[in-house]
Amino acid sequence: MKRCVAALATLFLGLLPAHASEDLVSGLSQDTVEITSNYTGTDIVVFGAIEHPDDGGINDVIVVVRGPDATMTVRKKDRVAIIWLNRDQATLQGMPSYYYLASTRPLAAIAARDTLQRYGIGLANLTPAKIVSHHDPEPFRQALIHHKQLDGLYGETPAGVEFLSPTLFRVHVPVPATVSRGQYNAEVYLFRDGNVISAQSTPLFIDQTGLERRLYSFARTSPLSYGVSAVLMAMFLGWLSSVIFRRGN
Amino acid sequence: MELYLPIAEMSVHWLIILGMGAAIGFLSGLFGVGGGFLLTPLLIFYGVPSTIAVATTASHITASSISGALAQWRKRAVDLKMGLVMSAGGLAGTVFGVWLFGVMRRSGQMDLVVASSYVILLGTVGGLMLNESLAALRAVRSGAAASAARSGKHLWLHGLPFKMRFRQSRLYISVIPPVAIGFFVGVLSAIMGVGGGFVVVPAMIYLLRMPTNVVMGTSLFQIIIVTAATTILQATSNFAVDIVLALLLILGGVIGAQFGVRAGERLRGEQLRLLLALLVLAVAIRLLFGLVIEPSDLFSVATVTP
Repeated sequence: MKRCVAALATLFLGLLPAHASEDLVSGLSQDTVEITSNYTGTDIVVFGAIEHPDDGGINDVIVVVRGPDATMTVRKKDRVAIIWLNRDQATLQGMPSYYYLASTRPLAAIAARDTLQRYGIGLANLTPAKIVSHHDPEPFRQALIHHKQLDGLYGETPAGVEFLSPTLFRVHVPVPATVSRGQYNAEVYLFRDGNVISAQSTPLFIDQTGLERRLYSFARTSPLSYGVSAVLMAMFLGWLSSVIFRRGN
Repeated sequence: MELYLPIAEMSVHWLIILGMGAAIGFLSGLFGVGGGFLLTPLLIFYGVPSTIAVATTASHITASSISGALAQWRKRAVDLKMGLVMSAGGLAGTVFGVWLFGVMRRSGQMDLVVASSYVILLGTVGGLMLNESLAALRAVRSGAAASAARSGKHLWLHGLPFKMRFRQSRLYISVIPPVAIGFFVGVLSAIMGVGGGFVVVPAMIYLLRMPTNVVMGTSLFQIIIVTAATTILQATSNFAVDIVLALLLILGGVIGAQFGVRAGERLRGEQLRLLLALLVLAVAIRLLFGLVIEPSDLFSVATVTP
């Protein structure tokens, strides 16, 4: 995972002018989100500072938080006789399980479409690594993005970057209860006059802790004992209730 | 307070789940049924993924059947031999059903198969029950005793080979019908998350001609074995049992059941059956609407489990 972050960093450095990373500093309010039994979603804060804001030109900040990639199947219902059933489907590989974007202005005003596409910035520019489908995949990709938006797992807020001073900014990133676990990346881009002049990526880990963690890994690593425990629990509670009830009578 | 379900990976309000368990427990105490056929759709309407709903409901039925089975066992009203023969068929059916469940889930037809099997089964059973209870009510009103005498006639089923003596049921019949019934119910349990009492009990009475005093105990015995097997198989092959959800449902269920039993004592048998028939038909119609009405959103998204 460290290697992955390092690769990403060199990628960014390779794309950018050599001194550029000094223009932008960013960080996260927390580097891990722990899913506990009363977890109902949370907010993380991405904050940062632009070092030389007065160099001339227009500065824009875009913050993207991206979840681990997943493979998702999108199905479309069709009417067969009188029943609606799933007919056509597309499997999209390498789409982020979570994507949240905040920017200082609407994306179209910040940079040209092909610049945004190159960095994969914006919901409209989210493209899967691979699509397996017998049909035109575009409606399926759009349906996926639409569904993820309804679930609160994809989002785009054009005025979501809040400036506390001419140099200091912050972004509230909503993390709903249904997020998948894994490594997330908070990417901060500094645009000047439509070009990326600086970028930073900070990893964020979301994982279950405590009892949830133990139950989940129990269910995954020894499913047989997990299943047997579920049955024994059910039998014990059923028996216990009959004992209590008989005494109650 | 919200509670996070580790396997379903969603947070639910624990009071709502507890209340659902209690409501189903109440109905199962009232009518003497497991209630899985109501619980699974209810969980799905609430937003629990249908895979998790089906698999987790099985453990709820195990728990709610235990106290009834123990009571019948004490009354010696369990035909152990018959129960074991049916369970053998049931285990095979469960294995097949869980396999089928996995295949359907991968092909995206899971929801369709679950909903349409509910519509067919509940529609049929509900219709038959409605018909029968209305006839019984009419008979009671006109003063005639409802005739339940139907013994003496021999079905073709009883001519099959591999005969076995079931002492407690006072039967000497082929093992094929009980094994086949058990198998069918095992499949239902795996793909619908039901105990199958509403199939087993009529089958025992009308097909196997078992004496009614052992029917309840034997069916409960068989249901416990089949739902326990379903839980274990769903946990091992589909990772679909959420133990936190199961705990909440069971706690609600065992409490609700006690009130249900008491309420049931105040109602007459025919009235109870009429109410149950209406309830079963209502669920069937609700699910039927879901199949035939154009959905507001044609697309659905499923994350492929890594």
